[in-house]
Amino acid sequence: MSEPILEVANLVKHFPVTKGVLRRTVGQVQAVDGVSFDVARGETVGLVGESGCGKSTTARTVLGLEKATSGSVRFLGRELVGADMSDVRAARRDMQVVFQDPYASLNPRMTVNNIIAEAWHIHPGVVDESKHRTKVQELLEVVGLNPNYVNRYPHQFSGGQRQRIGIARALALEPTLIIADEPVSALDVSVQAQVVNLLEDLQNELGLSYLFIAHDLSVVRHISDRVAVMYLGKIVEFGAGADVYESPAHPYTKALLSAVPVPASRKHVRGERIMLKGDVPSPSNPPGGCRFHTRCWKVADICRTDEPPLEEITPGHQVACHYPETPVEIGV
Amino acid sequence: MDPLLVVDDLHVEFRTDDGVVRAVNGLSYMVDRRETVAILGESGSGKSVSAQAIMGLIASPPGFITKGSVRFEGRELLTMAEDERRKVRGADIAMVFQDALSALNPVFSVGWQISEMFRKHRGASKKEAKKSAVELMELVEIPDATNRYRSFPHEFSGGMRQRVMIAMALALDPDVLIADEPTTALDVTVQAQVMQLLENVQAEFGMGLVLITHDLGVVAEQADRVVVMYAGRAMEKGTIDEIFDQPHHPYTEGLMNSIPRLDDLNERLNPIRGNPPDLLRIPSGCAFRPRCPYQQPDCAEVEPTLEFVGDSGRSTACHHWRDAFGE
Ligand SMILES: Nc1ncnc2c1ncn2[C@@H]1O[C@H](COP(=O)(O)OP(=O)(O)OP(=O)(O)O)[C@@H](O)[C@H]1O
Ligand SMILES: Nc1ncnc2c1ncn2[C@@H]1O[C@H](COP(=O)(O)OP(=O)(O)OP(=O)(O)O)[C@@H](O)[C@H]1O
Ligand SMILES: [Mg+2]
Ligand SMILES: [Mg+2]
Repeated sequence: MSEPILEVANLVKHFPVTKGVLRRTVGQVQAVDGVSFDVARGETVGLVGESGCGKSTTARTVLGLEKATSGSVRFLGRELVGADMSDVRAARRDMQVVFQDPYASLNPRMTVNNIIAEAWHIHPGVVDESKHRTKVQELLEVVGLNPNYVNRYPHQFSGGQRQRIGIARALALEPTLIIADEPVSALDVSVQAQVVNLLEDLQNELGLSYLFIAHDLSVVRHISDRVAVMYLGKIVEFGAGADVYESPAHPYTKALLSAVPVPASRKHVRGERIMLKGDVPSPSNPPGGCRFHTRCWKVADICRTDEPPLEEITPGHQVACHYPETPVEIGV
Repeated sequence: MDPLLVVDDLHVEFRTDDGVVRAVNGLSYMVDRRETVAILGESGSGKSVSAQAIMGLIASPPGFITKGSVRFEGRELLTMAEDERRKVRGADIAMVFQDALSALNPVFSVGWQISEMFRKHRGASKKEAKKSAVELMELVEIPDATNRYRSFPHEFSGGMRQRVMIAMALALDPDVLIADEPTTALDVTVQAQVMQLLENVQAEFGMGLVLITHDLGVVAEQADRVVVMYAGRAMEKGTIDEIFDQPHHPYTEGLMNSIPRLDDLNERLNPIRGNPPDLLRIPSGCAFRPRCPYQQPDCAEVEPTLEFVGDSGRSTACHHWRDAFGE
């Protein structure tokens, strides 16, 4: 892989928990608690984990939509945490976002033309005003929509088509990185595959990088070069898709993968299912030591007291566990 | 003996200001004791509406059941008087609703809401009802049930609330349980717990389970037989092995090709082209025709009916299945 364009180091985002009319701070939701990863040019990094583990907060903090509590976000060589608003805004041109909900993320009172061209008004000088319309039509064609639809409104499109509009809007400023937060989760399977293929085609043509967030482990496996697994605000495992999926080293990753129901006939041999007990603990009061220790079947004394750091176990494969699974050789 | 539940040629439409939404257009299937039948289909294919029709919960207007029959142990439900119907609901056929997570009343304790089933339907005393509710909470594996009886819904996680909804559906010991997307809002690890729970209670109570879902993985792991729905119709019916190994309808095949698989990498996905149908304007003939790679001129003219494939009981609604999929 080529040089990293995004480097996130020890990123922390806590939300205060307030109580009473005086809104006294009584605690902190440790939504993201020391997350480090990087994304290379032309690469797709997948971010998976269960509801509430901090995926969206990571994305929003990287995008500057939430102010980081601490840590560093370097994008194209520039530090964004603590930077001036103008620098952040300039960086945001190269870093665009596609949201989960194609129904809620498009303004229902704006035409497709205005939705896509809006970014050019915020960043003047990118596309000359006289060329807006033709450029919008070009973008519609790129995402596989009829260019004659420029004057239509979002409600006149299906869910998959709306997500294409969201992608066209993200492409308007020719970004280097697209952060996609659950971009296909709201779509039907038959349509989801269309959007996944579109994202892959765009990457090949335009050399885009993606940070791809989803809870569907199969979709993430399909689209990602590397995958990070989050649990309660932390990355517990990070590595090449093949390493993480075929040789998971963290017990949580193993359990998560084993829980995915296999869409195949009964003749298909299934691996053993690891049934985790209980629910994910609250991020406002996470367990000490390893955050997974309350649900882990390998738990030992050290896990209750010492937090395991994210460390490399084989080249490029990082895991945060005192007792990781031994890596297996993966055939190429 | 009569089969447990038979749905036969069910038609449901909604008469709206925009026109007639034909939500269910001739759906037939049956479920027996100890059996799990999955109703598989994408959003808007009529899964929930067909279940509401079986439960007698379609508000009319705008909804109308225009044709068909639903029989429980041989008794016709669609023409039954409402007070008799009410006795069937819950005690004979119970349902876990799709929006279960918001179905609990936030101002009453969870235990009280479960025990109400016994007070209202069985005339149990407060004390008896509480005892039965705690037993049910234990059955659905809510830890520390005696104390959690007094908890309010917001104090429960999504997975626990879904367990409560399942407990309420099981309260009157139904013969048929209809579960509408029981795990869709849950994380995979919790989904696995809830599916296991459903399997356990089915083994214990021996009821017939109608599992409504859009998730091919859940279908494959949980069901005995599948009804694949599209635009309110059954496109194909068969066993898990038949449907997954040798789909005999272009839509089923398209669905199978669309999903990424954990063990099949870097292959380009094969989506179904086009978009799901607008139920105000269902295409003439075969509803899947505009998206079908095998379409022929006659597909626009005649709506295909389910035809048996072989003699195992599987069936497909496609004029050209022989050409497309062989015998
Ligand atoms: N503005 C906020 N104020 C307080 N807590 C918040 C805020 N935003 C998020 N959180 C909390 O931070 C945690 C992480 O939330 P986040 O949305 O990042 O999770 P997620 O991994 O994206 O989950 P999902 O898969 O459900 O989208 C959750 O416990 C959430 O309730
Ligand atoms: N009260 C109503 N009035 C008008 N149309 C309705 C009404 N209820 C349902 N419909 C329509 O009937 C069709 C079938 O809806 P249904 O809820 O059965 O879909 P579904 O297969 O359960 O989808 P999902 O997977 O999204 O739950 C949809 O087009 C829906 O918009
Ligand atoms: Mg999120
Ligand atoms: Mg539904």
